[in-house]
Amino acid sequence: MKSIFEGLGKRPIFLIIGIIALTLVFLGGIKQNASIETDLDEYMPSDHPAFVFSDKAEELFGIQDGIILAIEHPESIYNTATLEKIRKITTDLPESFPVIKAEDITSLYTAENITADEFGLEVNDFYTQAPSSQAELEQLRRRVEDNEMVYERLVSSDGRAALIMAEISDDVFSDEFYANLKEYADRWSGPETIHIAGRPVVEGELGKLGPQDMARMAPLVLIVMIILLLFLLRSLRDTIINLVIVLFGTVAAFGLKALLGIPVYSVDTMMPVMLIAIGVAYGIHMHNTIDHLVQLHPGIEKQDLVRKTLTAMVRPVSMTAVTTAVGFTALLTSEVLPVRFFGLFTATGVLLEMLLALLLFPASIFLFGPPRPKKKRKQAANLGANTSSPGKTDKFQERGRRFTKGLTKHPKTVILIATSLTALAAFGATQVWIETSFLANFEKDSEIVRTDNFVNKHFGGTSTLNVILSADEPDTFKDPQVLFIMDDLQNRVEEDPAAGASFAVTDFMRRMHKVMHEDRPEYNKIPENREMIAQYLLLYEMSGDPDNLNQVIDYDYQTANLTIQLKSDSSAVMNRIIKEVETFESSFAEHGVRMRYAGSGYKAMVFSELLLQGQIWSLALSFAIVAVLLWILFGSLFIGLVGVIPIALTAVVNFGVMGLTGIPLSSATALISSIAVGIGVDYAIHLIEHYRSARQAGFSIAEAAADTMSHTGRAIILNTVAVMGGFSVLLVSVFPPNRQVGGLIALNMASSALGTLTILLLILIMMDRKERFKIPSSKTSETEGSAGDSRRKPVNNSQQTNYPGGNK
Amino acid sequence: MKNSNRIAIISALLILTVAMAVPAQETGLSVMEKVYNRPSGETMTADLVMTLTNSRGSTRERTIKQYKIETEDMEKKLMFFLAPADVRDTSFMSWSYNDGRPDDQWIYLPALRRVKRISSDKKDDSFMGSDFTYDDLGERHPSEDNHRILREETLKGENCYVTESIPVDSGDAFAKTVSWIAKDSWTGIKREYYNEAGEVYKTLTIGKTEKIDGYYVITSMTMEDHDRDHSTTILMENVSFDDANIDESFFSERQMQRGPRR
Repeated sequence: MKSIFEGLGKRPIFLIIGIIALTLVFLGGIKQNASIETDLDEYMPSDHPAFVFSDKAEELFGIQDGIILAIEHPESIYNTATLEKIRKITTDLPESFPVIKAEDITSLYTAENITADEFGLEVNDFYTQAPSSQAELEQLRRRVEDNEMVYERLVSSDGRAALIMAEISDDVFSDEFYANLKEYADRWSGPETIHIAGRPVVEGELGKLGPQDMARMAPLVLIVMIILLLFLLRSLRDTIINLVIVLFGTVAAFGLKALLGIPVYSVDTMMPVMLIAIGVAYGIHMHNTIDHLVQLHPGIEKQDLVRKTLTAMVRPVSMTAVTTAVGFTALLTSEVLPVRFFGLFTATGVLLEMLLALLLFPASIFLFGPPRPKKKRKQAANLGANTSSPGKTDKFQERGRRFTKGLTKHPKTVILIATSLTALAAFGATQVWIETSFLANFEKDSEIVRTDNFVNKHFGGTSTLNVILSADEPDTFKDPQVLFIMDDLQNRVEEDPAAGASFAVTDFMRRMHKVMHEDRPEYNKIPENREMIAQYLLLYEMSGDPDNLNQVIDYDYQTANLTIQLKSDSSAVMNRIIKEVETFESSFAEHGVRMRYAGSGYKAMVFSELLLQGQIWSLALSFAIVAVLLWILFGSLFIGLVGVIPIALTAVVNFGVMGLTGIPLSSATALISSIAVGIGVDYAIHLIEHYRSARQAGFSIAEAAADTMSHTGRAIILNTVAVMGGFSVLLVSVFPPNRQVGGLIALNMASSALGTLTILLLILIMMDRKERFKIPSSKTSETEGSAGDSRRKPVNNSQQTNYPGGNK
Repeated sequence: MKNSNRIAIISALLILTVAMAVPAQETGLSVMEKVYNRPSGETMTADLVMTLTNSRGSTRERTIKQYKIETEDMEKKLMFFLAPADVRDTSFMSWSYNDGRPDDQWIYLPALRRVKRISSDKKDDSFMGSDFTYDDLGERHPSEDNHRILREETLKGENCYVTESIPVDSGDAFAKTVSWIAKDSWTGIKREYYNEAGEVYKTLTIGKTEKIDGYYVITSMTMEDHDRDHSTTILMENVSFDDANIDESFFSERQMQRGPRR
């Protein structure tokens, strides 16, 4: 293993050419094949029962998301010009946008008005040509306000706004479509304002904004990280290598994906985030070791330095990378396909980063010679020599010693603090809620949110929940008892301020009943007689537009679609409404009617629940995998279990902080907990490996701990500071979810580092004292003293010069 | 004798030529007029079984007793629902005027015990919520379209004229229709409806034509709406013509409430 890296490192030019060539292949692949998938339906596991049912119901009732054009007039839409404009847009839309079908457009112009007078029943358009006289306009206004199926649905109650709705299929919405639509709306504006709203707009914009913002922020993240690395490592060479590692890892992950013809999903925005946060660690640990060796052996030969470095690092670096990669492959258990790909390609990227770290650092030594020891470090070391500590120690070692001393002096305090923080976090984790709201991702004063608020204020709502009622028997929905329950349900739900309106076969029945009774308001209710309902349905089928009825009831009157319009796309709101709806479950059950749900909002909610479930499962699974791997690698089940502690703590704190600060779980934030595995494992392995090597080299418990802190601890802190600093840049992002990502990554880095350097180290020390820590036998190893034993010097200097090193 | 023989032969040849020439002189209009004016009796009684099938293959079946009378200036229809049971005795009456005035329509709902007049300004009203419009059921006057014969061909064993009809008034639902007309019975065999884009969006297929009481009657037909993926089949059973008990006074609001004559 080592000789391969050494051999390749000796041919730096070949290596560089190889990396450039591969990078070009991957970039070419991205350029050629990469396609971005923004259709959320592509994310959903289509064979999940909830989705299967929803899709079937959507097909049965023609449930589709719609684009909403809201036409707002400063005074009133009841004027010739505005009505004419509504007519023209209604008829022109399918011509200007061939993807919109004429029959999928609803507006005051397309609406039919069933009215009655003493002579009979009339089925008319509200208007065919915009009326011109004041009397006619006034009459139109009255007709609209008399029709419950139009008033407040297509025309606002103050008469100042009207809607044109166009249902489109999922794959229609694109940037270009939206841009054209905006331009189209502008063209028709004045004196009216034309707003564009609707779920496809929000969904489309969201799918675009996130990656766009990430693309803008990513260079900033990198720049800040470069500056931090330069400052922390004090090495331009190693900073550049670090940069090459993370960039290559990212390009390779996306490139392989593109070459295999897999589209880029929005969760993939998290891929570079993971690969940067994790990849930097490999470089930093390599740098740290080389730096350390150079300090110990001024004037060391290239070959010797490379060999010593590889001896020390191949094992921990490859171990951390393999465990991290295996941890990510736990995401393959997710029901969500893009998440599976995310896990797979992030794992691949991590392994490539590991290889690169092990190749590039030796190559840089062969190419440019060993790095020079730093002046400041020397001074620190000299200063350290003046202290009471025996032997050659530097500032870091002294700090490490003090830290571990403090740690071991108050183990109870440390554990108490850690336990109470974990308990608080665990409580916080129970407060985490899932939020699938798309709108919550936009700034409150953004155009999209304002438009949505406008439509929600004046109309039923921009979001919908479809309650699908399926009966055991045909003709069930001709039963007045069943319709009464539906009507009650609608009334109950509409009491919730978030539910603006609802629409079902009941509304047709109320309208028909009233119309057949000369529009007398007391007949605005469900008929009490089954035959009458059947005959009204027949009459509507014969005289109205049968497609209207097909949206609320199926052919056998066995399945009904009750649409609830919501003024918020929050899944919390939807859950609340579903709870209210569920209170009618038993009443329906008495009539053999079962309630289920459909629609894109509902699917999005189920989807994120799946995502969350999957995330928790794969987290648990990756804990288990990591534990087993550590068990195998260190030959101790105990280490396996202990090594998982920092990961578990990081995950709990992550969810806890989300719960306590009100960051909801979404597809992006759910994946961040995966980083707990990636980073936590790295830290744990480096720490355990170093401690073990130190003990093996004959260090006392306390010395081994101090040395581990000063060496690995330093690398961990450098890594944490660089990554935290870089991702903190995201906190100023204009896209709220990316701010959350930045904050949570920083948090995860901090808690991983803190958990590893305190709890994990403390447990290692305590285990060791109780002789539960197996140290692999080596020629110099001997039984250590018990807890009270004072610091013991390393056996000799040569021992330390080998250091840090394993026995391999 | 020889001369007279010759004359006879010449005359026979002449008659033959003229006889052969006559069908060749058919025009699109004359074909469609023959279809429109095909004798169909003054009154007709039939049981209609109407089956609506949607894209999912679900069906709604309705049985309707239909009475029809042709008068000089209009056609009157009176229909009573026999099944499904919950709409039994619901009745529907329409008077279609030959002069192009909008139809008069009435509905009677037994549960409401009231006859209501229905008026609608919608064009191409569907027949009882089916895929057929009233026009499709033979009430569209040939003068509403410009016709021409495209070709002659055999369809389902019938020698047919294939005619194209383009509406005079461009406001119609279809851009043109192409019809297959059987030469010997002057009944349609098939008709395709084209939209502005030149695509067939509806197809009418005649399943069966029977000769009853000396009249050709279409007793099975299906209209498919390709856009909606929806179809309607109408079967005619118990067809009888010129029932002496039925006259114009039968087509009244009173009769609607009284129910079908049994």
